[in-house]
Amino acid sequence: MHKSLKIGMTAGALGALVALGGIAPAQAAEDVAKLSVLHGVPGLTVDVYVNNELTLDDFKPGDLAGPLDLPAGTYTVAITASDAADASAPAIGPVDLPLEAGKNYTAVAHLDADGKPTATLFTNDISQLAAGEGRLTVRHVAAAPAVDVLANDAVAITALTNPNESVLTLPAGTISAAVAATGTTDPVIGPADVNVAEGTNTIVYAWGSLTDTNLALAIQTIDGLHSNPDSIPAGEAGLVATNQANDSTGLMVGGFAAVLMGLVAAAVVGMRRLSGARR
Amino acid sequence: MRATAGTFTALAVALALLVTGCSTAPSDASSTTYVPPTSASPAPTPAAPPPVATVDVPTVSSALDQNQVPLALVPQRIRVDSLGIDMSIESVGLAADGAMELPKDPSVAAWYRFGPSPASAAGATVVAAHVDSLVYDIGPFAELASASAGTEIVVTTEDGQDRRYAVESVQTVTKQDVPWDSIFDRSGPNRLTLVTCGGEFDYEALRYLSNVIVSANPIP
Repeated sequence: MHKSLKIGMTAGALGALVALGGIAPAQAAEDVAKLSVLHGVPGLTVDVYVNNELTLDDFKPGDLAGPLDLPAGTYTVAITASDAADASAPAIGPVDLPLEAGKNYTAVAHLDADGKPTATLFTNDISQLAAGEGRLTVRHVAAAPAVDVLANDAVAITALTNPNESVLTLPAGTISAAVAATGTTDPVIGPADVNVAEGTNTIVYAWGSLTDTNLALAIQTIDGLHSNPDSIPAGEAGLVATNQANDSTGLMVGGFAAVLMGLVAAAVVGMRRLSGARR
Repeated sequence: MRATAGTFTALAVALALLVTGCSTAPSDASSTTYVPPTSASPAPTPAAPPPVATVDVPTVSSALDQNQVPLALVPQRIRVDSLGIDMSIESVGLAADGAMELPKDPSVAAWYRFGPSPASAAGATVVAAHVDSLVYDIGPFAELASASAGTEIVVTTEDGQDRRYAVESVQTVTKQDVPWDSIFDRSGPNRLTLVTCGGEFDYEALRYLSNVIVSANPIP
């Protein structure tokens, strides 16, 4: 599974290690955790401190940072006003984020259901998908009561509450998504087209505030979770075969019936050719 | 934009490394470890009122219209003039058995729509067609087996643009030995892979024993 994921010690990862870990031992891909950070608090530009190091400067609402490759461990995150001198007076946190190796996380700064700033650590599902499928994750991080999610006008998720998520596996393709108060179909967000891309976890966040009428959707995608077709059967008549039907050196042909079938096939095609020529 | 972010990240990394390297003060005067001459010591850091982030983390807008997986640009036609191939291309997914779906008619080619397209930044665009059919006779892709290195292939995408490729190799590989994950590779350089059937035929099961695989690279 990990082979297909784009995990690697990138320059950014190394930088993160230096900045956050202090010591940067050689890390195999499966030894690191991936962390993204989403800013879902309207109207508030912030600084994000990780282990007291300023990591995201002037982080704006609706912005998504990362992913960072981090050694497994617990990281302390504090979110301050953007002009703070240090992490001593955070607006959110400090919160401890326990990150396990090989996992993929998104930390979201957002409003709770009552409109108070908070932070939630979500674990992103990066398990492999079957060929042709996409994963849709919907997360409620808005100051709003329970919601239903409509996909192509049908209720796909019911009674989703802040700060929870629902994960669906769908045939890949674009859906029309809308969010409505639970039990209703009148959208408070959307409808909007969402590409549930094949082999990808498409994560949709409902954020903002219902009372402040600034509800919105944010999107994060994690690709590389795909599977491939296992064959391409692209011929059935043997018309360009490099062996003959009775060519015993080529392969073992079982019995008279098979030869007869081959002959019939050739005859059918031959007749079609003749009729084609007549036309 | 990503390249720029990457550049900044690399710079930030270099800076972070420098800072870490330089600020390691000698731990003990009596230690036997090398103590750098005072001229090599770091200048005293001035009191820094606004802190600056030590790494530049790539940041994007998460807005719905900016951060979705873009829809692929669909290839619609394939031509290999030197082999007399000129076929329309259908967008296909999977057959029920997990194989790549193909149109019954060998004169219609198929593009695996979940993989890369000619406009993708990376990966192999896979276009396949039946080599023959009990109903429709021999198809144009039968000619692929005789393609030579350098043969030009033109794929027209839905934006009307012709994308030209040059054949690098033509290989006939027994089906159980075809590395499907590398045929459908979504990483690596943008390239074109054509697949049909060929080689010996199993007259009992009515199937070819090999796939003919053409690898082609974009002509700049």
